[in-house]
Amino acid sequence: MSKSANIEKTVIKSERTAWNRFIYNNNTVGYIFASPFILGFLVFTLIPMLSSLYYSCTDYNLIEKEHFIGIQNYADLFKDERFLNSIKVTLQYVIISVPCKLAFALFIAFLLTRPSKLVGFYRSWYYLPSLIGGSVAVALVWKELFARKGLINLNLARLGINGPNWFGGMTTAKWPIVLMTVWQFGSSMLIFAAGLKEIPTSYYEAAKIDGANGWQSFFKITMPCLSPIILFNLIMQLISSFMVFTQAFVITKGGPNDATMYYALYVYKQGINNRNMGYASAMSWVMLVIMSVITAIVFKTSKHWVFNEAEG
Amino acid sequence: MKLRKPVAIIATLAMVLSLAACGEEPASVSETAPASVSTEASTSVEASVEPEAEAEPITLHMAWWGSQTRHDRTIAVIELYESLHPNINIEYEPMDFDGYFNKLTTLVASNEVWDIFQLGSNFPTYQSKIYCLNDFIADGTIDVSGTTDAFLRIAADENGNQVGLCSGVNTYGIAYDPQLFADAGVAEPTENWTWEDYKQACLTIHEKLGIYGSSKFDDWQAGASMGVNQEGFGIGFFTKTNDGLGFDDPKMLSDYIQMRSDLVKAGAYPDPGACNEISDIENDFVVSGEAAMTWVASNQFVSLCNAAGRELKLINPPRKKADGPAGVSIQSSQMLCVSQDSEHPEEAAKFIEFFQSNVDANKILLAERGIPTFTAVREALADDLTDVEKAVYEYVDVVGAFDTGGETVNPASPACTDAIKEQYNYYLEKVIYGEMTADEASQAIYDFAASQF
Repeated sequence: MSKSANIEKTVIKSERTAWNRFIYNNNTVGYIFASPFILGFLVFTLIPMLSSLYYSCTDYNLIEKEHFIGIQNYADLFKDERFLNSIKVTLQYVIISVPCKLAFALFIAFLLTRPSKLVGFYRSWYYLPSLIGGSVAVALVWKELFARKGLINLNLARLGINGPNWFGGMTTAKWPIVLMTVWQFGSSMLIFAAGLKEIPTSYYEAAKIDGANGWQSFFKITMPCLSPIILFNLIMQLISSFMVFTQAFVITKGGPNDATMYYALYVYKQGINNRNMGYASAMSWVMLVIMSVITAIVFKTSKHWVFNEAEG
Repeated sequence: MKLRKPVAIIATLAMVLSLAACGEEPASVSETAPASVSTEASTSVEASVEPEAEAEPITLHMAWWGSQTRHDRTIAVIELYESLHPNINIEYEPMDFDGYFNKLTTLVASNEVWDIFQLGSNFPTYQSKIYCLNDFIADGTIDVSGTTDAFLRIAADENGNQVGLCSGVNTYGIAYDPQLFADAGVAEPTENWTWEDYKQACLTIHEKLGIYGSSKFDDWQAGASMGVNQEGFGIGFFTKTNDGLGFDDPKMLSDYIQMRSDLVKAGAYPDPGACNEISDIENDFVVSGEAAMTWVASNQFVSLCNAAGRELKLINPPRKKADGPAGVSIQSSQMLCVSQDSEHPEEAAKFIEFFQSNVDANKILLAERGIPTFTAVREALADDLTDVEKAVYEYVDVVGAFDTGGETVNPASPACTDAIKEQYNYYLEKVIYGEMTADEASQAIYDFAASQF
């Protein structure tokens, strides 16, 4: 009896020494807690990325076995006028939508810094479009709103304005899509609101005593103090704008005459509709390079316009 | 601090809303669930009575594209089949055309194609996934005694492999509203009308009534596939063997492209933005009276008439020359195929046979996919055809009697058709928006198409 108890004890002890030393190790604990993310990253990000890198050098069409064709896809890309056009319209979209969205988000966030009982309510209310905005359902609503005889044109007609055929004109088609993006300003707004709260009120008081008006204190205090937040929002919105897909896919299908054939939509069209998966993979990699370069440029130039309190 | 509560409420509300949006698909599945439960309940009773129903339960997956009418009828037939074969459970996915082929492509890549699936003349693209039915026909699993060799051949490849069973034959045509033609003082089209007549009719109707003369056409069919056929007997966009282009003059494409561009500029034909508002035949501009005619596949005519609720007529598409070939021909509208990925190809084949040849099933389907190819089915349906359905039968007979110059129709189109069609529509829009001339576009389409072989 006592003997077996002893054995048990030694077993537990030895387990403690080997197994427990492993399991209580800080690194092990860290990896275990991080494992859901690591697994997800491997399965849903790294492996698909590597396989797309491989496919980008093949003529894979989803149905037949692929053949390795080297950099042929990449060479073809720069001869493809539709591809070059898709870069052009995507850049155009990013340049219009990102500043509009950020300005609007900052404006609303600024309004909502006023002490009011309903601030929390408004903040949540304005955040709603961001929660539902990416969905197909809202895009369909948008399509109806801006249809030839949709609500927008109906109301314009009441004001005596002859509303354009939004999705029929190459110049007008992008505006409803840009508007829909700007409408989803919620997440940027919340981040701005948090940033605005961090600015000490004593700065504004001091400026007021020195006789600064509203605009002056906004441009001399708010903007510099908020610049790190603006940088963060700018980068996030740049990246998400480059990947614009749902709105164009549902509302315009890239038309008219490729005026809204955005990069991601063209990737989809080539990969799924035309079954040129290899070509589409190559396109995605070019997109990655373009986005990295633009993000790098923003970071590089940020030195000149982002105000850092620790340095300043 | 006080404001936490409304924040929380709105956040919850938003989450519930977004969940509801995500949950759309499962919800529609559960809608159909009660129906399948009830059939299961009734079948379990039958099972205890019928000794032969002890077979192991089998689940088959099936998908098709189409309009709501087709979805409702096909689901009813599936439920009928399940009630007759208690051990078979069919899970189905009704879809629209684009969504169907996008999903099919991804399923092909992952070797998970539905057991029973629908294909049209584009079947060569998916040939590696099609289970050849010759053995099933030889051993009697599929009884083809009720149909003819000619009807079997329209769902077979050039080597005689039976790739599917035809769901019905159809042909293309123009549906028009005779009242609107009369209102505008335009003579109704005849069998020998030409594209010039069509253009004039569109312009006059637009001028007199302020509506579109014509609604959205299938440009690829009208301008290229059928358009080239109209040049002369034996001339086609592709060769008979699908290994190259069947014509050598790009100008054969120009006239249609030029006409389309002119009509859009005149406002007599919807621009690409307006065309995009049409999601299926049931909300075509003809239905709302905003256009006087539209392009249809003959089997869609019934849905179109039902949606419009007015008298519409069916005529063959305009010709290039009044005495030239009509270009249209009778074809398999679509077929049901068994997939190579299926674990139960025999059961899938039995279902297809039932679907195409069973009289009760086809009394539910009512030739919505085209005129049935099994004689008994056609005869059973002939007794209670509506006037609209009779018009479709008559129209198909008229097209069948057109002079084809002794040519037979190739039921298959080459795998690169989708890419060429995409490019055709791309260049067509370039002409409409004035970035290219019709001749340049035709040349570009021709060069692209030729480069695919």
